[in-house]
Amino acid sequence: MEKNIYAYKCKRCGYVQYPYRTICRGCHENDHNEFDIVAMSKKGKLVTFTHLYNPPSDFETVFLTLGIVELDDGNRITCQLNISKPKMGMEVTGKVEVVRKDEYNKYYGIVFYEN
Amino acid sequence: MRDVYVAGIGITSFTRLEFPLVEIAAYPGLMAMKESGIKSIDQLYVANMGASRANHQTGLASAVIDNMSLTPAGAETIENGPASGASAIKQGFMAVASGMYDTVMVIGAERMREVNTLEATDFVATLTHPMAEYIYGVTLPALAGMFARLYMEKYGVTSRHLAMVAVKNHKHAMDNFYAHLHEEITIEGILDSPDASTNNPMIADPLRYYDMCPVSDGGACLILTTAEIAKKTGKPMVRLAGVGQATDTHAVHDRKDPTDLLAVRGAASKSFAMAGVTPKDVHVAELHDAFTILEIAESEEVGFFERGQGHIALQEGYTKLGGKLPINPSGGLKAKGHPVGATGVGQAHEIVLQLRGEAGKRQVKNAKVGFTCNFGGFGNNVVCLTFVKEA
Repeated sequence: MEKNIYAYKCKRCGYVQYPYRTICRGCHENDHNEFDIVAMSKKGKLVTFTHLYNPPSDFETVFLTLGIVELDDGNRITCQLNISKPKMGMEVTGKVEVVRKDEYNKYYGIVFYEN
Repeated sequence: MRDVYVAGIGITSFTRLEFPLVEIAAYPGLMAMKESGIKSIDQLYVANMGASRANHQTGLASAVIDNMSLTPAGAETIENGPASGASAIKQGFMAVASGMYDTVMVIGAERMREVNTLEATDFVATLTHPMAEYIYGVTLPALAGMFARLYMEKYGVTSRHLAMVAVKNHKHAMDNFYAHLHEEITIEGILDSPDASTNNPMIADPLRYYDMCPVSDGGACLILTTAEIAKKTGKPMVRLAGVGQATDTHAVHDRKDPTDLLAVRGAASKSFAMAGVTPKDVHVAELHDAFTILEIAESEEVGFFERGQGHIALQEGYTKLGGKLPINPSGGLKAKGHPVGATGVGQAHEIVLQLRGEAGKRQVKNAKVGFTCNFGGFGNNVVCLTFVKEA
């Protein structure tokens, strides 16, 4: 099954938020958990990025490329990039992968590739 | 509301300190009590961010109040990320202004060098969004790097402008005995020379080593009180006239324009409004330059300069000592140091020194209105303070 990152669409006003908030940022009036879960798009444009040369110590890499992508559905997402020469505004496609591991857990997140 | 005055101040060196955290907190408190002659307080606020992570200690305020033999006065620890310091000052302000207490002590203290730099960076990174940012390996330098790239593109700021902030603040710190870095740097050494890439490696592209503040230990203290008690100290009367705080979205990507620092704008305008002054009235300011780009961005967001003009003002020497509006005469976080929880109190300490006319070689002449901006998270929780010297 294809993995997705999910956003939260308010059942009252339709506002889509990512990440999750208990109270909707659009109408401030929803009841507890009154959201539809919607898969976020995996295509978008790179807004900004950085090569981080002192990544957290549990990453076994020399550097880590991180970015913010504006998705086709209008949402933005913070992500890892697997792109050697990223450029602002470039078209990218994402894949949900393991982005961080510790002793007992694997954490899934989105990694973007060049189109 | 009653007027609130600063009766006493104290500070430790911001550097690597081989003392227990409680003593780093108690020492500036002792200095403040000695200089003001105030021997008893009604309440203690201790600002600290990382004691439970870095020093394996919780309930810090209870430990500090006992260490200072000030029991049974009230004591609370305030944790609000890197804005803990100014947040604790805000609590002290409210306590005195409301009439609940007459004399309160506000201490900021942090001992981050007990762990290594990567662990310290990680404990600060825990303030990012756990699911949307932290899991990807996002740290504060990473957010600053992404912010800087957008900001530089939008306003034509270059690495050279960022280096100018570092050069200026390192130079200011040369005259500050308590500063972490006593090291004059030049643009040639960190950007132009063949050794520049070794001296000043890339950390979070486009930000380099000298665009980042050091990891410091340190403590600072302010005693806040009423006009009546403050008069008895015989020190120049410095009033804490304006306190403003504002918040923004937790995840940086969630902001409509990620180059806007709306919380800085909100906190500053509230602080100025309460004090009844405008940004044009300010003579000296301490801004939160954890990353060089932030000094430029904040100088615009608080209202000193138009959007996109901060780097021009910097380039023209407007913000250095001797310029029209000196920013970070202490050396700022960049060179004075950044013991996270203590930083906001350290900024206020510098402004009080400046307004009293006790800043020595780095004194800003005739400073009457001073301002601090303490930036928590990556701009998601900001506290700004305005101080006014009264004749």
